Amino acid sequence: MALADLTASVSRLALVGLAKNTGKTETLSALLAELDARGTPVGVTSIGRDGEERDVIDSRIEKPRVLLSAGSLVATTDGLLRASGLAHELLRQTGIRTPLGRVLLARLREPGAIEVAGPSAAAEVRAVSDAMLEDGAEQVLIDGAVDRRAASSPAVADGLIVATGAVLAADIADVVSQTVDAVDLVRLEKVEPGALAAASAGVPAASVLVAERPELLALPPRFVLSADGEQIGRLLDANPQAHWLLIEGALPDSFLGALLGALRGRGRELVVVVQDSTRVFLSGRGPGWYRRQGLRIEVREQTELKAITVNPVAPRSHSFDSVQLRALLGGAIADVPIFDVRDPDYRGVRRDGAG
Amino acid sequence: MPRSVDLAAVRPYADHLGDGLVQMSFTLPVPYSLAARRAALELAVAMGFEQPEVVHYEPLTEGYTYFVMYGRCVQSVDFTALQGEGFDIEYMDEEEIERFAAAHIGRKVVVVGASTGSDTHSVGIDAMLNLKGYHGHHGLEGYRAFETHNLGSQVPNSALVAKAIEVGADVILVSQTVTQQNLHVHNLTELVEMVEAEGRRGDMILACGGPRVSNELAKELGYDAGFSKGTEPQHLATFIVRELAARVSASS
Repeated sequence: MALADLTASVSRLALVGLAKNTGKTETLSALLAELDARGTPVGVTSIGRDGEERDVIDSRIEKPRVLLSAGSLVATTDGLLRASGLAHELLRQTGIRTPLGRVLLARLREPGAIEVAGPSAAAEVRAVSDAMLEDGAEQVLIDGAVDRRAASSPAVADGLIVATGAVLAADIADVVSQTVDAVDLVRLEKVEPGALAAASAGVPAASVLVAERPELLALPPRFVLSADGEQIGRLLDANPQAHWLLIEGALPDSFLGALLGALRGRGRELVVVVQDSTRVFLSGRGPGWYRRQGLRIEVREQTELKAITVNPVAPRSHSFDSVQLRALLGGAIADVPIFDVRDPDYRGVRRDGAG
Repeated sequence: MPRSVDLAAVRPYADHLGDGLVQMSFTLPVPYSLAARRAALELAVAMGFEQPEVVHYEPLTEGYTYFVMYGRCVQSVDFTALQGEGFDIEYMDEEEIERFAAAHIGRKVVVVGASTGSDTHSVGIDAMLNLKGYHGHHGLEGYRAFETHNLGSQVPNSALVAKAIEVGADVILVSQTVTQQNLHVHNLTELVEMVEAEGRRGDMILACGGPRVSNELAKELGYDAGFSKGTEPQHLATFIVRELAARVSASS
């Protein structure tokens, strides 16, 4: 199986890296080559910038180019489209502004290398992806940037590939544990539909406490962003029956930590429900750690994780054995295929025909 | 004469157009000597300069020599390829900004700024927001068009986002010294993601600034603009009022 087979059913596929230089663009290139070999018309957009020759922070790092086949759709800026020198048909002016110019949609008339810079904001990424599907793309590839996850939200994408790599840590065990936490996050359990779904229909505020017997208590605005342990404690004491905490917006690590402290002191448990994993901001500790402390995080919607790709090389630093890294990850993460698209044993298609 | 400038092949100018003359200075970790002088010349040749000349050199401290050199740069850049959107912002001055904001926005523009995460440098934010400003130009606080909230340094992203929502910010401005460490970049991307998670990305202009921040980096990080060294408050203000006016007109 290659990436293109695994993701064939996904209309909007998001590529998310756990950090810079985890090999997202290599994964994108491999996918593009496979889809080209299958004759699948693709659309490509990037929430950052892709196919640039050099890394924007460390110019000593050369980046892979993005090669698109004739007939591909692309969302990029006017200037980058012109700079590619590729013949194209202009499909739409999106009116979306980026620091590099306005985003256009075009269909390439000839194959070649191009820098891709589409919209950054999630809602605009979705709009542009839908426009490309409407204009004839069978699959849209949404490339991420740095460690940004917003475009992998189920509101934007239907499937997800996560890129991880040696750049995360100097110790292979740390790379594995950080990847496990990140994968745990994108695969947070979906909340049981039954009672909660009914209870939370037409939720009146951004955050509410819900008791077993559907009773909703709206929390003050920005409570989750700014409340401290004491405020959380008072809230828990005033609502001894509360069983769920529904959060419409962001769930920062600081709140989770304070909530956990307040729950422990009272010997209570609570299920925190967020819209999807892109709303959760953890640092250091993964969802598994919180789960083991009796604090479960669940989601209402999930984007299916289709594959993990690894880059065993940290540019200008260390590298690991690809086979070993994949074996360790495979041992720790169940049910997700793990690839190194640059490894000779990867069964994709190479543009030079070597695969 | 400007007419004779070949914008497709621009190179440095000293005595006459296209002469390519560059003045540069650097220090070499070698003792002040004729050998040091020779080393500087060879280095300039290695850098691609033609007819390099040492016009001044002196001992800096023991074992170090400071040089001022001239050299002829034979490379050129195609300036015509750098036109178009993303490059063609013309800055307005303070009065023009006030008039533009009054005509196209018609209310105070709310700006919240901070140095985020572990960054202790607030000098960039202070220069942009505080009345005192920078380089003889008022910070945004001094404009009628802006209402500013400077939260200072080491502000957690969650606190910054909470404040921005509380005051109904049109703009979040963050300053961060970006290095090759992932941590600094992560602070910047996390803010963007948190604004997205709160469902406010469409309502807020996000701008970042710092010594190494460019528009290219801003795009990678998910910001609407990036400002680096040399930015004066009216540059930032020009961008904000233009961008906000464009959004107002797009949504009406």
